[in-house]
Amino acid sequence: MANYVEMWKDLGMDLENHDLLCQVLPTAVGDVFLTQENRPNAMDFWDLVISEVHGIRPAELIEAQKQGRKVFGTFCVYVPDEVVVAANGIVTGLCGGSQFWVPDGETVLPKATCPLVKASVGARLGKTCPFFRIADMYVGETTCDGKKKAYEILGEDVPMYIMDLPQMKRPKDIVKWKEEIADFAKKVEEFTGNEITVEKLNEAIHIINERRKAMARVYECRKSECLPISGRDALLMTQISFFDDPVRCAQMCNRLADELEQRIKDGVSVVPAGTKRILVTGTPLAVPNWKLHNIIETSGGAVVCEEMCTGTRYFTNLVDETKTTLDEQFMALSERYMKTNCACFTPNTGRIEDILELVKEYKVDGVIDCSLKFCCLYDTEKRSVSMALKEAGVPVLSLETDYADTDAEQLRTRIGAFIEMLNG
Amino acid sequence: MVNPDLRWYILFANYEQGLALRDLLLKFDVKNRIAPAPRAIQGELSCGMSLLIEDADIESALTCIVQNRGEYHSIVPLAGQMRSHRDKYC
Repeated sequence: MANYVEMWKDLGMDLENHDLLCQVLPTAVGDVFLTQENRPNAMDFWDLVISEVHGIRPAELIEAQKQGRKVFGTFCVYVPDEVVVAANGIVTGLCGGSQFWVPDGETVLPKATCPLVKASVGARLGKTCPFFRIADMYVGETTCDGKKKAYEILGEDVPMYIMDLPQMKRPKDIVKWKEEIADFAKKVEEFTGNEITVEKLNEAIHIINERRKAMARVYECRKSECLPISGRDALLMTQISFFDDPVRCAQMCNRLADELEQRIKDGVSVVPAGTKRILVTGTPLAVPNWKLHNIIETSGGAVVCEEMCTGTRYFTNLVDETKTTLDEQFMALSERYMKTNCACFTPNTGRIEDILELVKEYKVDGVIDCSLKFCCLYDTEKRSVSMALKEAGVPVLSLETDYADTDAEQLRTRIGAFIEMLNG
Repeated sequence: MVNPDLRWYILFANYEQGLALRDLLLKFDVKNRIAPAPRAIQGELSCGMSLLIEDADIESALTCIVQNRGEYHSIVPLAGQMRSHRDKYC
């Protein structure tokens, strides 16, 4: 019998507070996911994972540590999983998506910090997230000022490695990121005691590419006018992929894609014909942040795509698998990762192009551009996103929110009005 | 009389036991869904997974479990657990 309580105790967690979190999660999961009708059967895997979110995977990671493997906690889609996997390490996402963790974060961070950063720090300091307790090393990156300062706090009692992400995309920046990846590889080798060879890195690149392809298959199904999966379920799949073993993740996503492709053939849709198709763009929705998707999909819309880190940015573009030296492989990794369009770059016109392309591919009726409070970068980019979409004749609604429930009613009013406007 | 607001949660000692019962119920076409066990009924159980059975399906689920000696910890009815517009997130 799995005794997670003993495991959490051994991890030094605050059991009393953690129990409070365990009380709210089932309610949210029930409301957001289990109220849906006609969900794909393959979602049972993610239903299990979220039911045991602080149990099954943490137990697996601890078991792997007993076998001598190291766990690397990451916060961003620019950190190359391939390097860690090549050294027989394990990657787990650490971004916090719960209001539950925010107050603990606010004990050391200004309140005017984005909730994702506050929740991530709070999850560590409050000792209420096993993943933060398990990770042997945290890997940060310089994508935003809030994170950079938060890493200084997190690094006080956990080994912390920071990758310096360039903020422009000139050829020299791609070379610079390649060098950062090479330096990271050295650190990972040193920390794990395992050499990263060309063969091992090639294998790791293949594993992560297969995960990307499997996730892309699921997203491809969302382009169908016969929508076989809700945005909420697709989001859950993506959120969990940051924590899961990449090989199993690919298997499960492919299993889901098989079912979705069959649903499309059979004409099985999760929404009535004519339901307005929404593309959501902006800042990431870390697990268990389901507020936006739930409100959209219970207000008459269907989320068909996420242009965000917990969406297309995570799996779009593959790494070239044909390289034969480490130097070439690091460059191939850099080229792939530097294609990702985050608002931390200037200029960031690639993101606008991505959004316009996704609008066409996913047959989108309207775009909701939503950023987390105090994210200056994405908030500022709303202007250029909005201008480009208006020029293309695509309705757009710009929003700002955080993890609290307090603005839910206001969001319902605005999103409901937007969808009503789309319905004409 | 079926109560559409009433759902039955089957609780388990561990998720392996839960998945075994899920397979059994699916084999006999009894509808069920994996759901996090509401903390209020979980007690000292460590396992967070439960199987959710709609009120309309509980009789056939119980029959299947008895006839096939399906293993579980307990079965608890709860009303009004799920509301899509509640807007209570984590």
